[in-house]
Amino acid sequence: MSLSDPSTLALESTMDKAAPRRRKLRPWDWAPYVFISPFFILFAVFGVFPMLFSIYLSFHTWDPAAGLSAMRWVGIENYTFTLTDDWFQKSVFNTAWIAVVAGAPQHLIAIPLAFFLHTAFGRWRNAVVGFYFLPFITSSVAIALVFTTLFSRDYGVINQVLTQLGQLPVLEWIFPQQKIDWGQPEYTKWMISFVVFWRYVGWNTVLYLAAMQTIPKDLYEAATMDGAGKLQQFWHITVPMLKPMMFFAITLTIIGNLQLFEEPFIITGGTGGIDQAGKTAAMHMYNTAFMDGDFGTASAVAWLLFIAIALLTWVNNKIFAKSGMKD
Amino acid sequence: MAHLSLRNLSKRYDNNPPVIENLNLDIHDGEFMVFVGPSGCGKSTLMRMIAGLEEISAGELHIGGELANDTPPAERGVAMVFQSYALYPHMTVGENMGFALKLAGKSKQEVAQAVGRAAEILQISHLLERKPKALSGGQRQRVAIGRAIVRKPKVFLFDEPLSNLDASLRVQMRIELSKLHKELGTTMIYVTHDQVEAMTLGDRIAVFNQGRMEQLGAPLELYERPANQFVAGFLGSPKMNFVPCQLKDASSSEITLSVAGDNRLVLPSSHTIAARGDITLGVRPEHLHIVPLEQGFRARVDLLEHLGDAEIVYLELAGSEQPIAIKLPSGGHGLKQGDLVGLRPDAARAVLFGKQGQAIRLQ
Repeated sequence: MSLSDPSTLALESTMDKAAPRRRKLRPWDWAPYVFISPFFILFAVFGVFPMLFSIYLSFHTWDPAAGLSAMRWVGIENYTFTLTDDWFQKSVFNTAWIAVVAGAPQHLIAIPLAFFLHTAFGRWRNAVVGFYFLPFITSSVAIALVFTTLFSRDYGVINQVLTQLGQLPVLEWIFPQQKIDWGQPEYTKWMISFVVFWRYVGWNTVLYLAAMQTIPKDLYEAATMDGAGKLQQFWHITVPMLKPMMFFAITLTIIGNLQLFEEPFIITGGTGGIDQAGKTAAMHMYNTAFMDGDFGTASAVAWLLFIAIALLTWVNNKIFAKSGMKD
Repeated sequence: MAHLSLRNLSKRYDNNPPVIENLNLDIHDGEFMVFVGPSGCGKSTLMRMIAGLEEISAGELHIGGELANDTPPAERGVAMVFQSYALYPHMTVGENMGFALKLAGKSKQEVAQAVGRAAEILQISHLLERKPKALSGGQRQRVAIGRAIVRKPKVFLFDEPLSNLDASLRVQMRIELSKLHKELGTTMIYVTHDQVEAMTLGDRIAVFNQGRMEQLGAPLELYERPANQFVAGFLGSPKMNFVPCQLKDASSSEITLSVAGDNRLVLPSSHTIAARGDITLGVRPEHLHIVPLEQGFRARVDLLEHLGDAEIVYLELAGSEQPIAIKLPSGGHGLKQGDLVGLRPDAARAVLFGKQGQAIRLQ
């Protein structure tokens, strides 16, 4: 085919027309981008940049007061130091302890509680659910302060009740006769766990209740016809049907509990309590950065925490997927 | 198998008007009984009362001769197939089918045998390890039926079980249900709003409307001799044509009607009827014939629907603007929209209805 071939010329002519031309943007063409830019600018400044900077920082030592030029590359030293640091290890242990003791009952109580609310309440259900949900929307600082007062050794209501019960004939075997000093290391984690459990059980109840409301009524009727009582319906229908929500709720609990900060911080007055018995990993990170001024190590703690959360979420995902719970 | 007896059965929610009132019905051993009616007529509620899923407000329900009003659903000897199938999504087909037996404390071997037998009947043995989500609509329906069979119930209850299937599968399942009934010989109660299902499946049909049973009888009996205008209109597709008319003269051998103005129609009658004045003439679409203009009622063709084997012609009756449908064999009639034709009803098959809609017996 030669260049003078009419079909070739026609093709070239078409290509000329189809060739992209730089279009001149008029001022109002920018308007959509301007309108959506605040989010992206704010997210870039307060979200993406600190995250990336903290990765960079975790491989440096840095005194912020001395300016950016004071940053010194130390490789993975911050990570090795953190992993071998006794206080970090203790804070991780405390975090895991509180995560399990406060987290597991949240779900063990929330599921039957949601089932009870689902089956026993009619039009009052939303009011009761709202009541259980209140702690979740209340300021954690206020909650922590109230519970600090409740757990006060000399004037706290909890000690008053426990010691009164301890005076009764049979109950004296279970309840203490003396007031408990909740600030002592052996009690600190229990106290924090109780507050965390109390605060989040309502949230999980709402999650499970929402999931229960999506379970088709037909399934319960079919189970009734098959001879299943209420308890059997709960075990054979409700619990298996809740598994996707369990996966979601447990993942949220893992993430939330490993980042636990406000409750232990307020309850222990920011110190972690005697022997740092109530110091969580997030508190350790905060203290390392803002008390010790070691931002490099604090960044390393943050990323180690992230890795731990990601790993646990992955394990959780695997467990649920293996048992078909995510179906 | 069991005989069911419903005596003055009523259902009322709080202080609302009754959904079902004073219903009396006997369902025989091994009978295939169909409850049919429009949405909200109370047919499903009645079935749920029999199942034990709804409390009985008043009256008595006897299953196999025993009063079952307060008997728990699982102990009534009834099994239900739900419209949505209600298969447990987290269980395999086998587990779904064997769930009732498992709850009843049967051994694994007994459960496996019962499930295997039911699966064989329904030809779903190869599906036992699958979860419901991996099944087609028809297969799910079979599993739901299998779950009912496994319990060896005295009475099967089907709550619109074919509604979620496509048209061809519905026909296939309808035939299979009919075969299954013959094979098992168990009493079956079937709720549907589809009159074709009702006509093809039922030994007897109970037609419901607004909580009342309008008529009970064999399918053809209901079709040929409807008790009232509601039943006549509900059964048959296209529905029966209703034409307001005037009864001019009645003797012991024939009655004369004035239809749509000056048109006169003489119907044979074996006895003198009491009704006078305004009544309604009911003629099924297949009982209307096209005749030359001067020999019938004048009507104008509005629309033609081609069904392949037949054609539905919609016409407007001159002088009354009354829409009329007739069913003709496909092709050959040469009708087109706007044509003026004569209509002649098959006088022997026409039905008359009084002012309250009750059928007036002519023969």
